[in-house]
Amino acid sequence: MTAKRARNFAFSGIVLIAACIWIFPLYWALTTSLRSENRIVSDGAGWLIDELNFSAYAQVLSNSKLPVWYLNSVGTSLIITVIVLVTGMMCAYALSQLRFPGRQTLYLLVVASFMVPVPALYVAQFVLMNDLGLVNTWWGIILPQLIVPVVVIVYKQFFDAIPREMREAVLLDGGGEFTLLFKLYVPLNWGITAALGIITFISAWNNFFWPFLVSTSEGMMTIPVGITQVNDSFGVAYARMMALALLAAAPVIIGYLIFQKRVTEAVMISAGVKG
Amino acid sequence: MKLFTKLATATALTMGLSTSAMAQVELEWWDFLAGGDGVRMKALIDEFNAEHPDIQISGTTLEWGLPFYTKVRTATAVGQGPDIMTYHLSRLPLALEEDVLTPITDAEMGAAGLSKSDFFEASITAASTDDGQLMAVPFDIHAVVAYYNKTALEGTEWLGEDGNLTGIDSIEDMTALLQWAKAEGFSDPLSFQSEGGGGTWRMFYTLLRQQGGEMITDGEVLAGDNMDKAVKAIQILADWRAEGLIPEQAAYEASVALFSGQKAVMHINGVWEVPTFKDSAADGSLGFDWFANEVPQMLDQPATWADSHAFAIPNNPNMTEEEREAALTVIGWMQQHSMAWADAGHIPAYKPTVDSDEYAALEPNATYASLAENAAFDPRSKIAGVASPVYDAVDNLIAPAIHGFLSAEDAAAQMKDQLQGLMN
Amino acid sequence: MPPVHPLDRPEREAEMSHSNRRNRELRAAALLVAPFVFVFAVFFLYPTYKVVALSFTDAPLIGEGTWVGLENYAKLLGDRLFYTSLWNNFYFVLLTVIPTTVIALMIALSVSKLKGRMQALVLTLFFLPYVLPVSVVTMIWAWMLDFQFGILQPLIAAVTGKAVPVFKNPHWVMPMIAVVTVWWTNGFNVLLLIAGLRNIPEDLYEAAALDGATPWQRFWRVTWPLLWPIISLVLTLQLILQLKLFDQVYLLSNGGPFNQSYVVLMQMYREAFQLNHGGYASAIAMVLFLVIVIVSVLQFQLLRIGGRK
Repeated sequence: MTAKRARNFAFSGIVLIAACIWIFPLYWALTTSLRSENRIVSDGAGWLIDELNFSAYAQVLSNSKLPVWYLNSVGTSLIITVIVLVTGMMCAYALSQLRFPGRQTLYLLVVASFMVPVPALYVAQFVLMNDLGLVNTWWGIILPQLIVPVVVIVYKQFFDAIPREMREAVLLDGGGEFTLLFKLYVPLNWGITAALGIITFISAWNNFFWPFLVSTSEGMMTIPVGITQVNDSFGVAYARMMALALLAAAPVIIGYLIFQKRVTEAVMISAGVKG
Repeated sequence: MKLFTKLATATALTMGLSTSAMAQVELEWWDFLAGGDGVRMKALIDEFNAEHPDIQISGTTLEWGLPFYTKVRTATAVGQGPDIMTYHLSRLPLALEEDVLTPITDAEMGAAGLSKSDFFEASITAASTDDGQLMAVPFDIHAVVAYYNKTALEGTEWLGEDGNLTGIDSIEDMTALLQWAKAEGFSDPLSFQSEGGGGTWRMFYTLLRQQGGEMITDGEVLAGDNMDKAVKAIQILADWRAEGLIPEQAAYEASVALFSGQKAVMHINGVWEVPTFKDSAADGSLGFDWFANEVPQMLDQPATWADSHAFAIPNNPNMTEEEREAALTVIGWMQQHSMAWADAGHIPAYKPTVDSDEYAALEPNATYASLAENAAFDPRSKIAGVASPVYDAVDNLIAPAIHGFLSAEDAAAQMKDQLQGLMN
Repeated sequence: MPPVHPLDRPEREAEMSHSNRRNRELRAAALLVAPFVFVFAVFFLYPTYKVVALSFTDAPLIGEGTWVGLENYAKLLGDRLFYTSLWNNFYFVLLTVIPTTVIALMIALSVSKLKGRMQALVLTLFFLPYVLPVSVVTMIWAWMLDFQFGILQPLIAAVTGKAVPVFKNPHWVMPMIAVVTVWWTNGFNVLLLIAGLRNIPEDLYEAAALDGATPWQRFWRVTWPLLWPIISLVLTLQLILQLKLFDQVYLLSNGGPFNQSYVVLMQMYREAFQLNHGGYASAIAMVLFLVIVIVSVLQFQLLRIGGRK
């Protein structure tokens, strides 16, 4: 028995070490960001955090438009998430509970749209945004990102599973379809809404290609775009680059650490795998 | 009392809003100026904003080169371009092709307090169309210079009494210096951006022009013996690389860091890095004495790659008369304050600044001022200039040849082929 | 409270209410689907149609073009860079899809053997990179692999004898972009596989253990077949995802050196936004579109066969 425990212990240790190696890049970014620029390139750098020099952070915060990019990222990602969820749940409800002409076709279209590589549409979407005068605006960033078919599909699956008796009860009480949706179906599936919300938010927050194309001025850029397209650094700037990267990543890292369990669930649900 | 102040403010505000003269014009400004350049330009913009309550510049610094020019092109096409931007004059022919700039009339120059005769003639020519229409206002002439570690060279045959480089009159001399430095423990004696891109092009072009070679003559790429000269230029760099005298695949930032980290004894790069070394020497973090000279003449004639930054107003049908006027005011003001820009290492294109006593005393500019006469500008062609097909050829052919992936002959021949195909 | 039974009402009223209800249902359905359908039609279906239409014209990015028939496609057939790009896309798929699945499976199996807090901690560490924006990932890796100052260069030197500028070396560039990509996206796959593992009933393992099956046999007889649906899901998702490669290439190597990391979306971007060839870029996009549709259908079929076995 003790031999088995020792083996388990050793196994845990090995897996933990592997996990630490896996996360080493983030650790190394942190170490670099806390050093002075000239030390990074002159000494052979040590592996430990042996200096707590916050000047790189100070410089990045005072010189870059990071706060504006945060605002753009938060704003566009939130709006995308809300619209995607609301339109998605409404559509899914209709697909799941109501009979109407074109229902099958619509559902097939949504499922088939899974296969379409969205970036292949970017040229046309850019032209469209230009026709609408929305290049370099929040709506320009938002609108093409509203197509998230998985939200409709997942909602539909969960709505399908709700027993019909509950529905009949509300209907006979004189409630309409909207009452049903927002008072019964959605509250019964808050977990799904939270999960889909998190997934949609993360992917909107992390989207690079589209915001990169459609935001032409610094003031409209989102974080992933801003940190690569705008160059406020000068000379040797490795510490500042890492400070910038970590500041850009901080909200998602902190958000993930707080909502860990929900994020994990969200990933599983969005792929249709129940944990 | 309080009420009275409130009333007064309200009245002032109403009046301010109703008279257009008081209205504030917000100008969107784009540049690609990183490095010490960026710091100096931001200071200039702040100063301008402080002096002009009626005009506010909001600046954006985009990634230099292709990313910048791609954004400019796309944004201008959709009418979302800036109101004013910096532009490389080497790229002017491409700008005309892309139709992103608006002409600047003599009257507008006058309104900005400028006249064409205030500028070096060569830069005005470079900023104009073939029939003489001005498309941008030149701001500077910038070249590559040789930065060197004075402390390390102290007491050697390559450092003169006056602290300048001496005795480097041929490729062999330079090689000897670099070999000596290698033996002294400098791992990459001569650093420059060797991975390709601007740094490699500047080095190659300097060596080509020091042999009297030309990229394009009468619409033909590398015609006649220019071909051999190109091969020789590439070969010199490839030989240095083979001996470990220049760094392998150094990215721009790394090439600067190699010099400041004392892994290179010499660094060939644009004058725009002058402030970087000035600043870090001033705060004591550099750890050695540095200086900059004109790139030594190592071949048949003196020549140094050079380009110009200019201000341009992009095509934008939505731009108001007021905004355009404000943009011109900015351009005029910048020229009058170009002394601060000279402090970033550049040679101002505006002659009154260059003729000033203050400029004459500015170091290291004064020492390398001679390079202005030997400046070798990129060929005036839509295949050349920053982020042009020539730059692609540098990345795909010249840099690989320097690193031994293909021969100098093949690289030059393929370059000729590819570029000639784009000429027509 | 029991609801009023509908049969209590007179027959006629019931009929009327039925058609009323039908109308109400239709109206409600229309209102409910309208927002989604509107967004879907304008920002998805229309651009899809538009890309097809543009691919038959010589339009610039912004502005009108004229109909040129199949000219863009003909040009594509003779475009060497396009073949390079297409090949690089497949090469990248080869480098990522199966390796990432194998690595994720190994991590998932290990993590699922851990208990409690330890499991949570390890899972967090493995998953964390997935939530990072791509540009943060590439900035960190570019620094770690920096030729002159990168922390990983001594490691590379230990293996190959000398430091390698990985994103400037034609042989290293794609594999290294693959490494970065696997590091970044692997957490997602790990989670899916862990969820799958949790769904395998414990008693199946116990039964297998009672039969005297070795851990190896247990894996192949119990875990693998029961996990296969999830593994095939991971493979499919990865395949489609990795064919859409753009961000990492743009940010790490920009397609170089000598176009050895050029991929189809990179070429689409360049043609449309740098060279102003909207029509040709659309034709390139169409090919990617078709490739992904064909590949996903094919893989779906193949995986079904694999699953039956």
